[in-house]
Parts: sequence; structure tokens; C-alpha cells
Amino acid sequence: MLTTIEKIIFILMALTSAGFAIHGFKTIIDSVRKGRPAPELKNIPASLIKGAIAILLQQPIFKARRVLSTVHLGLFFGLITYAFVNLIDVLEGFISGFELTYGGKHFFATPNAFANGFNLVADLMSGALLFSITVMMVRRFVVKDKRLEYRDNVLLNPKVLAGAMGRDSATVGVFVVFHVIARLLGQAFRLTEGADPFMPIASSGAALLRPYVGSETGIHVAWWVSIAWVLYILPYITRSKHTHFTIGPVNFGLAKQNPRGRLDPAVPVGTKLDAGAKFLHDLSWKRVLDSYACVQCNRCQDVCPANFYGRPLSPSAIEVNKRYLIKEATFGAHPEKLLVPLTESVVTPEAVWSCTTCYACVRICPVGNEPMADIVDIRRRLLIDGGEIDSGVQTALQSLATNGNWMGKGKRLRGRWAKEMEMPVKNATEEPVETLWFVGDTASFDERVIPNTKLVAQIFQQAGMDFGIMYQQESNAGNDVRRVGEEGLFEQLVEQNTAAFEKSQFKNIVTTDPHSFNTLKNEYPQEFDVEHYTTVLAKLFDDGKLTVKNKLSGYKVTYHDPCYLGRYNGGFSAPRQVLQTLGVEFAEMPRNCENSFCCGAGGGQIWMGKVAPGERPAENRIKEALETLAQPPADEKNPSDKKLIFVVTCPKDMVMYSDAVKTTGNEGKIEVRDLIQLVAEGLGN
Amino acid sequence: MNIVVAIKHIPSIADDLPVKGNNIDFDSIDFVLNEFDEQSIEQAVLVKEAVGGTVTVVGVDMIGELDNVLHLALAKGADKAVKITGDDPAADSHTQAKWLSEAIKNMSANIIFAGVQASNDLDGQIGPMIAAHLDMPYIGGVSSVEVAGETATVNKEFAGGVGAKYAVSLPMVVGVQASSKPPRYAPVSKVRQVAQSATIEKVAPSGESSAGLTMKSMAAPVATGHAEMFTGSSKEVAAKVVELLKSKGLA
Amino acid sequence: MSNDILIITEHIDGKFSDISFEMVGKAKELAGALGGQAVAIVMGSGMDANVFASDATIYVDDANLAQFNPEAQGKVIEALVKEKSPRLVMFGWTATGMDLAAWLSARLGKPCAAYVKNISADGGAITANCQIYGGKMIAEVSLEGDMAIVAMLAGTSPAEAGQGSTAATQIASPVALDGLKTKFVEAIKPAAGDVDITAQTKLVSIGRGIGGKENVELAEELAKALGATVSASRPVIDAGWLPRTRQVGKSGLKVKPKLYLMLGISGAPEHLEGMSGAELIVAINTDKKAPIFNVAHYGANADLFEVAEAMLELL
Repeated sequence: MLTTIEKIIFILMALTSAGFAIHGFKTIIDSVRKGRPAPELKNIPASLIKGAIAILLQQPIFKARRVLSTVHLGLFFGLITYAFVNLIDVLEGFISGFELTYGGKHFFATPNAFANGFNLVADLMSGALLFSITVMMVRRFVVKDKRLEYRDNVLLNPKVLAGAMGRDSATVGVFVVFHVIARLLGQAFRLTEGADPFMPIASSGAALLRPYVGSETGIHVAWWVSIAWVLYILPYITRSKHTHFTIGPVNFGLAKQNPRGRLDPAVPVGTKLDAGAKFLHDLSWKRVLDSYACVQCNRCQDVCPANFYGRPLSPSAIEVNKRYLIKEATFGAHPEKLLVPLTESVVTPEAVWSCTTCYACVRICPVGNEPMADIVDIRRRLLIDGGEIDSGVQTALQSLATNGNWMGKGKRLRGRWAKEMEMPVKNATEEPVETLWFVGDTASFDERVIPNTKLVAQIFQQAGMDFGIMYQQESNAGNDVRRVGEEGLFEQLVEQNTAAFEKSQFKNIVTTDPHSFNTLKNEYPQEFDVEHYTTVLAKLFDDGKLTVKNKLSGYKVTYHDPCYLGRYNGGFSAPRQVLQTLGVEFAEMPRNCENSFCCGAGGGQIWMGKVAPGERPAENRIKEALETLAQPPADEKNPSDKKLIFVVTCPKDMVMYSDAVKTTGNEGKIEVRDLIQLVAEGLGN
Repeated sequence: MNIVVAIKHIPSIADDLPVKGNNIDFDSIDFVLNEFDEQSIEQAVLVKEAVGGTVTVVGVDMIGELDNVLHLALAKGADKAVKITGDDPAADSHTQAKWLSEAIKNMSANIIFAGVQASNDLDGQIGPMIAAHLDMPYIGGVSSVEVAGETATVNKEFAGGVGAKYAVSLPMVVGVQASSKPPRYAPVSKVRQVAQSATIEKVAPSGESSAGLTMKSMAAPVATGHAEMFTGSSKEVAAKVVELLKSKGLA
Repeated sequence: MSNDILIITEHIDGKFSDISFEMVGKAKELAGALGGQAVAIVMGSGMDANVFASDATIYVDDANLAQFNPEAQGKVIEALVKEKSPRLVMFGWTATGMDLAAWLSARLGKPCAAYVKNISADGGAITANCQIYGGKMIAEVSLEGDMAIVAMLAGTSPAEAGQGSTAATQIASPVALDGLKTKFVEAIKPAAGDVDITAQTKLVSIGRGIGGKENVELAEELAKALGATVSASRPVIDAGWLPRTRQVGKSGLKVKPKLYLMLGISGAPEHLEGMSGAELIVAINTDKKAPIFNVAHYGANADLFEVAEAMLELL
């Protein structure tokens, strides 16, 4: 339908657009390749396909914000459809007489089912696209959804602060609106023979435009407006957060294949580079790619406990700052910006040190980003460079290096709790045992937690388990040491524990601490058969080695999934199984299993003891529990209401939540108990 | 500028101390770096960073485990490490100070740092004794040191927040109470790197100096009394404390 | 060769420290047993040295001794000791004594015992009890030879026993004090405008257990509710959470309030030195083995934050 001149102009414009787009993508790819090596990915085609399927089913995005995710369906499937639609549009322009209205009967001999199908899909998708983009624009510009904003104390690239993202969104929003409407109009103008049942929206448009239907000028203008926008937007998106369209799925497909609980090596394998990251290109290529996949949906910010607590950390800001930094360095022709440390351009040291390493941001991200990995890399380099680190962390690390525990206690005191037991606890380094119980620092030394440790020992003994501990030969497993960035110290602890393991004879390991569990399972060179004690308890009940004497039906409980057992290692069912066996009344909190809300002690926070104004994550969690367990007040009709219990299976959770119950003034309303306490009661001990 | 840091490897007081005969049972305890020496090393490195020079750390190896400490000092910015192969866990301050002085004599030291005191200074601290042996002025309890040319300006702390500034012609010995900045952190990976590549100079002990003390006994102090303890939950304890204060007209 | 005891007294801003009097008192006791005299040594410029209950007082007056100068004092003491050959030279284990005692011992090749809590003489033999290893051990030692040097902890004797009016013999410095390498530049005064904790009747004192600067506020609220002032142990001051004017202890201030409420302080000897005279000592600490429980009148093995907040509700 285009004239020769129009065709020539189109080809020239298309070439220009393609040229800029290719240059844009090449710039991005070059940037990505400058990043350091990442852990090897095996069988990439399979990963990409697996990723593509998950994305086609839109599974990742539906983990949060169900309503908006449904709206996103319109954008997602709409834009995919439009890739084909635009192609047909170009063909309609170049092939004279080729058009698909009315089943393509003006081109093919008879109306074509394929053409009808195409028209219907294209038409409905146009509607979906317009609807979805309108909702999103209203959300951003009229309703001004606060979740799309960053708090004042979060470091932001100056352009972002000046509103660049709003303009970016507006540009693409306007593009979608104009492009889709123009295309619909173009179709409407062709409907000279009345409505086409397979093009309902275009047909309504035609009805409104009745006098102009059939106008050649109309068809041409509509075509040009529609296609020109596409030619403009293709190179535009390479400089926009909307690289998300193309890179999002790719990034998701290339997500790390290692277990969640295994951090990437501090120094890429086979290199002698300095550990961690100071500048942008010290990060792995995957981290650079992350910034292009991110569309600033801010789901990560919503689930971040540090952000909740008012700390200056936003995982989403890290990604957007990276992308703007690269943009300025490449497209903006300011390569010297890459020589500014990340701690000045992307994320402040205070923000870096407020991360609890709970993994919620990585888990929720629909495009496979790992902001937490950037944070750990920056910590690694800060430590090596001898920058100022929190005095609490320094004290903890020094104690770990000297005494193998972070609490400043002498090594010899580690097994003291066990020496106080009536029935002696075997020393696994002196006699063979079947199960090695790796106790952990908090459970061994903290006076508030030791009673629970003793209960565990008692119950293991009751169940006839052949177990032992390593007494003073056990050192901190090193999970949080690694997450604070001290790889050297982590290696030292691994060596110390390995020496102790080699002295001992055992078949499997059980641990009461999820942090120890995570690193022993995923990061130690040996391939241990290691289980968390909740799994062992569930098995003991199953095998009849433990039997419930008193059903705890007077308790109404909820269970908090600890990050390093739940989200990191999928350990959800065993504790719930045990609770069911105990016969408690159980209610699930809204944020449960993978979506659990971190207590705030991980990532070294428990060493730093930073107190910020505002509600602590743990306090918020207790409130959530109380709402979940809410029951009508007791009266004559219902004389006894149940005792409310917040069940934990991690010593740090025990400490954090007991504290939070008090600071929220809920002492007496709800009690924090470790699962083992309920088990002990249920066994009639 | 030749900066020397004299350190002391001392019994750890983190746990209870076992006794053997009339002294500590040195075989069953851990030895650690004197906490004031951490400050001392940091102050020395700060001076080096300000005016240039080399920092040499020297200590008596009491039980053959001083290497780790020396590697840590090197990782924190010291340039050379020297250990005097004493191998006598019971060597007193007089003996150590003499050996250290003999070793330091050959170092052309412009300024010598030592921790102001150590918890096992039964017979006094090594800092002042080194100053006496090397005929140099000594000032202890110092919380900041600045060096310009041949003069060191130090802040000495007295009790109650009072202090005094002194200007001393080098060479001198400084007894460090606190470094002007908190000791930096040396990542374990750096310490390990140092441990691989560094050489520690070994020096045989030379010279004799006696503390002149005869050990008669060593025992934990007998508690002459004990507080009357309030038990119960924190709320109950608080209530009892308030009641006590009110009964005495103190609340 | 005499059986005398030379007590090296100390003063700051013209005022003699309590430990000087304590040492004179103790020395008098000992001198009796040794058959010698307790001789107080005062070094200064333009001072009234007739304040001790010593058997004799020697006052060395020299401009170079107006302010504490370890080099100058060391020279003077060495000369006096060589001249008088005393049986014992007694220093305080203080900021000044710690610069001199061990130095003198190495200079003269004479025995030295530090951290002395108690000292006695029996037939010419001198035995000292020294509180070392952070107060965890008491070492009993006998000092050999004809001359010994000891450095005394505070509180070994009541200060009153050392107060008197023995007429001092004023002399010039026995050794030339020109050409000193150490020059006093200026005094460093404590930060002005803050409270004088020694004048307070009630103190709420915090230790390392307070955790951080942000939590000091809780202690301040509790102090306000009690009409008290906040003080602290050395680690809190060194960390910068409170100014040095609030420091209680050996290198801080000595206080004798009616109430000393301690939150999260373990009770190391250096701290005890600053407050053991308080009338009512109440200690809250999560470590049931904390040494403070041997000294406090009342105590609780509890969390200081919980107790403080609960107390606030009741006051």
C-alpha cells in the first residue's frame, strides 16, 4: 500500500533505527562483558528454555501484587503479540494489496482462518495493551503509588532524583498508547465493508469514524504514526529501563544455578583479582546484566527488612543506579564515571552494612536479579581495603578469629552446657557416633537459649539417638562471616571445623542453627548429609521413636520460617508436620514459607546492634502474628481462649522475637517458644 | 624514621586461670597479644603514615606461638617483624625488657612504642624499663602522638579527664594507652597472605635482668562478700529495685 | 643503707592526691615493723608540703618540677635514692607512678612489685600481695635484697592515717635539671560545661553492656526519673558514647555517691577503684559470674534494658 517514495523513506528510517538499536545493544553487551567472570552456567539452552516457559506462564511475577501482575499480563502478551503484528504491518505496507482485514479475502482467494485468528488476537491484544498501559500510567502519575518511590535517605543517581524515571515511563507509556491507537485506526480505516467480527475493537472504531472509512490518507497516516513510533522506540529502549522487555527474560534464564545458600566465590575461579567489588566492572557480568533486566517494579524494596526499618538500603535503587552509571559512562560519554567507587555512586556504605542477607529481594525478583550479591561483593572489598567497618563487626570478627565464636567467650566454655546435663553428652571427637550435632554459637553460649539446647539434647537422648557434639573443637560454621565479606576468616573456620570433623567419626550431621545448616550444607567442601533438627524430629515422630503423650490443643500457634532454613533451603514441611503431630491449633501468617519476613539478625546485624528510629522488622512480625492468631475475647460462652504461641526454630529468632514481644508491649499476650519446647511438653516431659 | 613497637605476649584472661604450684599453669592457658599493644601498633602505623619510615614490631616468643601475632601486625601496616626466641612462658617483665632492649639497640630507633601496661606486669611494665636500659625519656598513658622532625608531641592522660601535652626530643619510649584512631581491622585473607610471604627475623635472647621477686603463691581472690540477689522476671527485679530505693529515700 | 621508706607523693594542680596520703599511712605502719622512718618526698614548685603525717618530709623545690615531668622526677628520685639508700621506695600505681616505678627498678637493678594491694614486713622480709591478671589473681611475692620498689593500688590504707603536719625540709634539686628532653607544653582540661559526677548523690552508671550510643538515652531517662546523673566505665568513654567527664574508675573520677546503680558493668578492678566507696551499690548484669556481684550490695542477673524500662514505668 505504500508508495515507492514511502518505501524508500521507510527503509532509510528502518536502517537508521536498526543502526541505533544495534549500537545500543552492542554498548550494553560490551558493558556486560567487561564484568568479571561469574560461576559457570551449565547447559545454557536448557536454562533459557526453562526460564522462557516460567515467564510465559508469568509465574515469577505472581509471587507478589496479584492485581498488578494480572494487569501486567496485558502488557506482556500484548507486546509479544505486537512483535508479530508490527511485522505484518510492515508487510501490509510493502506487499501491494496484502491486507488481512475480513480474513484476508482481498489477498487470498477465500477468507483465511489463520488471518481471522490473527486479526482477533491482534485486536483483543490491542485492547488489553491499552487497558493495561492506562492502568499503569494512572497508577504512576495520578494515584502516585508510593511503592514506586524511594525514601529520602536512599542514595540515588542525580538524574533519577531529577525525575528521569518518570519521563522514561511516560515516554514508553505514550508510545504504547499512540502506537496501538494509530494501528487500530489504521485497521478501522480499512473496514470499508462494515464490521469484521474478528476485529471487534477496530470495528467499533470504524463505526465512530464512518465518514472517513476507506480514506487512503487515513490509512497511510495511521500506518506511519504507528510504525514511526516503533522505529523510534526500538533504539530508545536501549537507553531506558525498558531494556527489561528483552533482557528480563534472558537474565531470568541465566540465573545462577548454584544452590541459593551458596554465595559466589569472592575471587572468580582461576583469577588472582582482588576479592569483592569497588568499581562497577569488579562486579560479575551477571550483576551488570541485572541492571538492564530491572524495570524498577520495586517488589524487592517492599520485602526488604532493612528498607522497612528505615535504613538507607533499597535493592531496587542499587540496580537503577548501576544502569544510570553505565549509561552516563557509555552513551553519555563520561567513562571516568566508572572510576567512581560504587559506594559513592550506587549504594552507600551504611546501606551496604544494613543488609540482613535474608534473600527476600532475590527470591521475589521476577527477572532474576540478585541485589544481595552486589552487597556482599562490596562488603568483601570494603573489608580488604581497610575502610571503616562497624566496631561491633570488628569485635565479632576478632573474637571469631581468636576464639572461634563471636561472643568473646573462651573456647573451653563451648560445651559447658553439655557438662551440666544429667546424662552425659558424647564427645564426637573422642568416640564414634552416628549423628554429629553441630550446635552453633548462640545455642552454646547465650544464656537465654541454652535451656532449649538442653531440651534438644534431652529429647535426642529420649529418642535413643546415638549423637555427640564436638565440644571446644567446634568453631562457628562461618555462614555470617562469609556474608559480612570476610572470606579469609571463613576459610580459617572451615579449616578448623574440618580438622575437628576429621578427628570424629559420624554418618550424618544435625544442627539446631539454620545459619550453620545453610553453610554446612551448601558451602563446605565436604558433601555432608546434614539436616536441620526439625527434619530429624519429624522423622523421629514418624518412626515412633517419639510419641505425643499430651496433645497441646490449648495452644494456638503460628510458625515463623527462618530465612536460612526456609527461603534458602526449602525446609518448610518438617516443622509444620511436627506441629500437626503435637495437635496445636495452627494458623499461617500471610508472609509464610518463602515469603517469610526476616527477623533482622542476619548479615552481621546482630553484631552491629544498630538501633534506628521506626518499627523494627521483628516488631512488625509480632504484630502480624497477633493479627493472625486473633481470637474473640474470652467470655462465659467461650470461657477459655487458647494460649498464643509464636513458634521459632532458630536461636537468633528466639532472641529477636522475645525482645520484640516486650518492646511492643505484648508480654502476656503472646509467647515466643522454640519448637523443641512444645515437643518437650507434648512428650509429657 | 625508624619506629619500633615492643609487644608482649601474655596469658589470656578470658577464662579462669589454672594454678600450678606458686604460679599460673602456663601449659594450660592460651597466650594473646596485650590489648594495649593493639593500640600501640596502630599508633605506630599512624605515625609512619604521617611522616614516613618503617615500623618494626619486636616481641619475646613466650610459647612458640608469636608468629600469628607478628603476621597480624604486618597485615596492619608494620614493615618488619622480629621475635626473640625466649620460649619461657614464665619470663617476667624485667627479663623481657632486657632482651628487648638488647635487640632494639641495633635498630637505630627514633621512637619506640609499648603498651602502657599489661595484666601480668607483676614486676612492672616493659616500656619504662626499656627506656631505662636505652637511656631514653619515657612517657606513659599516652592517647595521641605526633612527630615532627626530631620532636614528638604526646598527650598524656591523668585521671578524671585531665591531661597534659609534652614535647619530647627523640629518641623516646611511649607507653600507649589508646591510639589516636581505633585499631584498624586486618582481614584474615591479608594476614594469611602475609603469613605466606613474610619472613620473621629470629634473635636469640641476650642479657639478664632479674625482677628480684620470689613467688610465694598465686590464687584467685577470695570473695569477701556477695550481693544480695534479686530474682524473678525483669519486671519483678525492677519492682524490687524501686522498692529498695524508695525505702532508702533514694527514689 | 637505711630501713627508711621513701614515699613518692603526687599532686595535680597544687592538690595532693588521696593515694599520697594512703601511702604515707601504710608506710608508717611498715616503717615501724622495719625499724626505719616513713619519709614523704614531695617534688614541686612553690608548694605547701607540711601536710603529711610522715616521720619526715623532703620537699624538692624546682621550677622544672612545677608540672609532672617523668624525666625530671626520675632524675631527682634516682639521686635521692642513691643518697639515702632506703629499704623501700613506694610509688602509687597511677598515671604518674606508672611512669617511674619500673623505670627506677631497671635503672638501679632493684626488685619491683606492682599492683600492690597489701604489703607487710616481717623481720626485714617484705611481702606484697599483688592483684594481677585483671583482678583474677592475687600473687603473693617476697621482695629480695636490700632495697625494693613497690607500686601501690588505691585504697590500701585510709587517707586520714597519712594526713598530718610534719614540717618539710625544703631542698633544691640534688641533680641539675637543665637540658631536659621532656618539656611540659600545656595542661589539657576536661571538656567544660558538663556535670561534675563527683558532686552527685545518685549515679546511674553504664558499661559495655549498653551496646551503643543510641541506647545511652535509656540510661538518661532512668537517671532523670531517679533525679540522678549518668556516668560510665572506661570502654563506654573510649568508644565515644559519653564525654570523659563521665568516666568512673582508675583513669577517670572517683565517686562516693549515696546510690550507684550499675547497668552492664562487669566490675573490673580499675572500675571498682573509682566507686567502691559508694553507699548503696546495685548491679544489673547478665553474667552471673561478673566480679561486681562480689562487691555490690544488691544485684540481679537480668537484662539491663528490660529492667531499666520496667523501672521507668514504676517511677
